[in-house]
Amino acid sequence: MLLPEEDLQAILQAALQQGGDFAEIFLERRRSTSIGCEEDKIERVTSGLDQGAGIRVIAGENTAYGYSNDLQRESLLATAQLVAGAVKGQPRQREIKFTRPPSRVEFTIKKRPDQVTVAEKVNLVRRANDAARAVDQRITQVTVGYGDVIQEVTIANSDGVLVDDERVRCRLVVNAVASDGRHIQTGYESAGGHQGWELFEQVNPEEQARLAARRAVMMLEARPAPAGKMPVVMAGEAGGTMIHEACGHGLEADLVQKQLSVYAGKKGQQVAADIVTVVDDPTIPGKYGSYRFDDEGTPGQKTVLIENGVLKEYMYDYLAARKEGRRSTGNGRRESYQDRPIPRMTNTYIAPGKDDAGAILRDTKRGLLVKRMGGGQVNTTNGDFVFDVAEGYLIQDGQIGPAVRGATLTGNGPEVLRIIDRVAGDLGFGLGICGKDGQGVPVGDAQPTIRIPELVVGGILDEEADK
Amino acid sequence: MDYQALKRQYLDLAGQVVAKAARQGALAEAYLTAGEELNIEVRNQEVEALTTARDQGLGLRVIVDHRVGFAFTTDFSPAALELCVEQALANARMATPDEHNCLPARYHGYPQLDLWDPEITTTPLEKKIETTREIERQARAYDPRVKITESCSYSDSRYLVVLANSQGIAAAYHAANCGASTFVVAVENDESQTGFGLAYGLKFKNIDPVKVGREGAAKAVRMLGAKRINTQRAAVVFDPYVATNFLGVIAPALTADAVQKGKSLFRGRVGQQVAAPVINLIDDGRRPDGIASSPFDGEGVPTAHTVLIEKGVLKCFLYNTYTAARDGVSSTGNGARGSFKTTPEVGTTNFYIEAGSRTPEEIIKEIPRGLYVTEVMGMHTANPISGDFSVGATGIWIEKGELTTPVRGVAIAGNILGLLEAVDAVASDLTFFGATGAPTVRIASMTISG
Repeated sequence: MLLPEEDLQAILQAALQQGGDFAEIFLERRRSTSIGCEEDKIERVTSGLDQGAGIRVIAGENTAYGYSNDLQRESLLATAQLVAGAVKGQPRQREIKFTRPPSRVEFTIKKRPDQVTVAEKVNLVRRANDAARAVDQRITQVTVGYGDVIQEVTIANSDGVLVDDERVRCRLVVNAVASDGRHIQTGYESAGGHQGWELFEQVNPEEQARLAARRAVMMLEARPAPAGKMPVVMAGEAGGTMIHEACGHGLEADLVQKQLSVYAGKKGQQVAADIVTVVDDPTIPGKYGSYRFDDEGTPGQKTVLIENGVLKEYMYDYLAARKEGRRSTGNGRRESYQDRPIPRMTNTYIAPGKDDAGAILRDTKRGLLVKRMGGGQVNTTNGDFVFDVAEGYLIQDGQIGPAVRGATLTGNGPEVLRIIDRVAGDLGFGLGICGKDGQGVPVGDAQPTIRIPELVVGGILDEEADK
Repeated sequence: MDYQALKRQYLDLAGQVVAKAARQGALAEAYLTAGEELNIEVRNQEVEALTTARDQGLGLRVIVDHRVGFAFTTDFSPAALELCVEQALANARMATPDEHNCLPARYHGYPQLDLWDPEITTTPLEKKIETTREIERQARAYDPRVKITESCSYSDSRYLVVLANSQGIAAAYHAANCGASTFVVAVENDESQTGFGLAYGLKFKNIDPVKVGREGAAKAVRMLGAKRINTQRAAVVFDPYVATNFLGVIAPALTADAVQKGKSLFRGRVGQQVAAPVINLIDDGRRPDGIASSPFDGEGVPTAHTVLIEKGVLKCFLYNTYTAARDGVSSTGNGARGSFKTTPEVGTTNFYIEAGSRTPEEIIKEIPRGLYVTEVMGMHTANPISGDFSVGATGIWIEKGELTTPVRGVAIAGNILGLLEAVDAVASDLTFFGATGAPTVRIASMTISG
């Protein structure tokens, strides 16, 4: 508990004294460690304490928000009064009685990162660095970053919700640069989760590093990606950037309500091929986008967004849910106490199908095989999306052909979802930081091997590649 | 907040923290910021959200036996500051020694800059809300097809920066900036297209709601009816916003840090032609009305006007104190700090391509067939190390020197070096989007994938 109950009550009362239907306080204490290694040197070891509180008052459709990192009662009361003054309404006295909602799931952190010495963390980083450098002489630079965070939150609101929670996350990223004197290419690999140090029982840092380094070296030998429309097979291990961009963002209720999504007003309609089921689920233990409670104190839940091609549900936070007189789906997230919560994805995936990954590849005469996706972006208003291919190969006669570099896939979410014609049973998770309204939050995403019969590959024309 | 009083108080606090670390045998530097923010969001003429904030933080960098340690805190209680000092010192013990790790010594005088527009503070909240409403009204009035406001907002920030180190630097300044933006959607039949308008700067009076609103609306409306095109090679014109997106990819490659670590495509190319002769690229930490302008950088070094590329020839790189020591040169005042939570890296300030002499219309008029690109998607996936990029693009097709029909769903790809060399015209309309600026830029020929 970052503040006694009676203080929380007093602050919420103060926030509602000028009117308003709902008040909330989000207190956060974030302790973090990060280590950076480059040029074979441990360049940076950082520890930090960032704490603060955000106070929100909602009146009708209007929101007032204020934050401060002074957590003393008097200062928070002053912030509450400032926020209260920004809404217009009929003041009324309200009694606030707190109850603690039960979580649907329990996460066990076996070894909290603050129980691990900095020396041990530095050693892990060094191991990854050394492994990447040993892969090939053409590896010219390696950057390894380790980060952990213990985020304690206390969330209380005028509806009487009171939640105390602790989120623990660890992450390791390796970036390798390879050069043959003529070209310079990079390879990237990351691992992380809502987990403690036990993450490294499942994830071998050396193996991660070697993957990144091999990818960088392979890209030196890759040919420029072809340009134009072609069939695309996305491997199960490729991560889920495509589904995150192609439909995930468009299913966030705030965008739907503002008519900023191509999926607005389509609940109950067929929006994807009937072999496509899309799920958002923060309750999977250990994934990067997992949590017990969202940042408004609502328990996280598994939400089936698209079932056998039919749009079933959007993702809601408190405010978006209230506008429709319904309950939040537990997707209210924020980067920190400095931000208002908004509907966000957690771990989003295309559910495994019945097809065989090998058969999908064999049945594709020519096209592009995506083995690893990079970042992406979407215009939710029209559904146009783009994402980067971090590792891709040409498909020739149903076989994996030469590697290609510099490919970007661009398409339209609803169009792509409708034409997906094969879905395999292999599901592989990726992780990342998802940006929306300037806020970054950790997410996981996944898909099994799928095939899209036609997608625009942004490469360069052959005449140029031959130069 | 009374920034003058706060300046004295926090200079004192930073000095104490530095002294505490120095007593334990470390070189030490405290970087402290404190500030206030306001953000107003309007939709359908109602204030949908209003945010007010105050925050502060201190980052402490120490160097012990050439090893760097860092810690930060937002809690300024004596116990928390004590812990911050201890952690920074402990972290230093884990780092690899590097003889180039050092802190700058005291400077004689910093540039006098006008960074504080009192109007940002004295303008009443109601007036700021009204300005935001006016932006939305202007966007809607521009064309009846502008039907949805994605966001329409005003924001300002007032802040204090304090820097003290054990080499004698004790400096502070306060600054303010403000900005407004609108993102609107034009709807016709079943089609939706988005457009934006924005203005950010140091002066409240420079926020023109008419211009911001109409710009957003015009950009959305002109994209209605966008069609796909086939894969081909053609001339490409980047509007200033798209050109600044590419500058974001070039910037890291021009830092001495990337060069020294073998991660820059400009490595070993000083004195060589790296871009078309029409390109002059500048970083200016003192630029009047520059949103990133400041008297000193994140390490207390005076900011400067640095010409990076002149007539296409690479002149130099950007340096902070560490990278300068390593190359035996002076820092260019580019010790950049994202916040008090990070150590000073090398970064740009106000970074821009200098304007040319001809208007955008004149350089478009010479194109028989090409694409005027107004938006790119996925720019953050471009690789600043290899320079490879491949982005989604939307824009307007050029036929016989005239803008004709809107185009969507295409991709453009290439390498940033090839792109810089292929620029054959730069227009006169230098426009800043935050701290990055560019005029309209024309590329002779590129692949457009459709």
